[in-house]
Amino acid sequence: MWPPQHHSPTCVVILFSIHFVLKAEKLFKKQGISHDVIPVPREISSDCGMAVEFPCREIEKVSELLASADIRIAGLYRRDGRDSFQVISRS
Amino acid sequence: MDSKPAPIYVDNAATSFPKPREVIDTISSLLGGMSLSPGRSAHRYSLECSRIIFEARETLASFFNCPDSSRIAFACNVTEALNAGILGLFGTALHPGDHVITTPFEHNSVMRPLRYLEKNAGLTLSILPLSDEGEVMVSELPRLMRDNTRLIVVNHVSNVTGSVVDLEEIGRLKGECLLMVDAAQSAGVFSIDVKKMHIDMLAFTGHKSLFGPTGSGGFYLREGLALQPLKMGGTGSNSETEVQPDFMPDIYEAGTPNTLGIAGLGSGVEFIVKTGLAAIRGHEQRLCALFLDGLRQLKNVTVFGPGAGRQRAAVVSLRVKGKSESEVAFRLDREFGVMVRAGLHCAPAAHRAIGTFPAGTVRFSFGYFNTEKDVATCLRGLDMIAAR
Ligand SMILES: Cc1ncc(COP(=O)(O)O)c(C=O)c1O
Repeated sequence: MWPPQHHSPTCVVILFSIHFVLKAEKLFKKQGISHDVIPVPREISSDCGMAVEFPCREIEKVSELLASADIRIAGLYRRDGRDSFQVISRS
Repeated sequence: MDSKPAPIYVDNAATSFPKPREVIDTISSLLGGMSLSPGRSAHRYSLECSRIIFEARETLASFFNCPDSSRIAFACNVTEALNAGILGLFGTALHPGDHVITTPFEHNSVMRPLRYLEKNAGLTLSILPLSDEGEVMVSELPRLMRDNTRLIVVNHVSNVTGSVVDLEEIGRLKGECLLMVDAAQSAGVFSIDVKKMHIDMLAFTGHKSLFGPTGSGGFYLREGLALQPLKMGGTGSNSETEVQPDFMPDIYEAGTPNTLGIAGLGSGVEFIVKTGLAAIRGHEQRLCALFLDGLRQLKNVTVFGPGAGRQRAAVVSLRVKGKSESEVAFRLDREFGVMVRAGLHCAPAAHRAIGTFPAGTVRFSFGYFNTEKDVATCLRGLDMIAAR
């Protein structure tokens, strides 16, 4: 089912390429952070790449994790609804 | 007519054969199992391919001790990687009038782009001398270095003589110069640590001692260095812009990649890690020592290469008195099933340096899957060919 039906609010992080998405995926798995690799939502960007969605309560952990692995964040968003996103940060 | 002798493959410096079972299984299960276009679509096959390529990148990064796997770019072989490096540095870190130092053991995949820039872009080139032992004299580096020396390009292991260059020493002596290494023959046999050796760019090919299929290879590029990309196009990233991305690995990987080749290469390196680099090298060097010992008993055979007791790879160049190189190679194949390579091995400068230009040599190159019995057959064949 897409978008994933999370019980808690979710955030979407956009990275610079699929390499970094998969690197993030590997780190999330290792840290036991629940997540989903999803296509970049059209509302965020027309880019055809992938993004990572995760529960917003993990946002600090995620920011630290990505920073410690030198993974630059292209954009961070909070999902407000099925097709609606709010910018948290954008580079 | 005799029945055909069993095949004995001793041309591993050209490309390794056989490949480990794991490599074959990886490739065939992928080819039969899914579509192979990574990073382009969002469906599970595309994502799975991206994961396979990502994992291969991580495997190679850790194998060469690269701190960040995004600094590994895949290419179709070391020739493409070296061209991406040499031609791509031109205009970023290398400019007309700059000086480059290289060795006489360079393959044409280094020599030709360097000679091209020398002729067409005003680059100047110096070549390190060989010692009496037939080894590149790294100690001469400080004497050849000039104020405008920007780049040192080195073939780690000679594909003609098996001689090994001390990369750590070059790393110590290079100062501000960039160090680019052709690891075509050494990757998978000798340990390579880009950090410890201060390597700025490491070019590797997948199909030799890394046990991947042909059409695979790539390079490591140190953080902070940039190349002018040789090709631009689709990367699956930043698709809204018509400008090539400026980050690795995407910047150097335009076009649908060789997913099968990269997957096979990743499996090959995993096989090496599992088997142990030292075990692989030990086996090859034992076979090589056995072969060299046997050759000393043969009359009319001259061996070219590092002297006894020197560090070397299992690549042996020789000549048989009174026979042409191509005749020896042809008879070894026809009469004994032994497959070797005769001629210049795409390295005319190396043959000039060791005095075997233009006819070249007969080259035997042993791999991890060769046996002592193979060595014995090579020696028996050479002995009989030399005798008549
Ligand atoms: C030292 C060296 N450099 C470069 C190459 C070129 O390799 P490839 O044909 O895989 O690009 C070879 C082998 O052919 C080699 O032995």
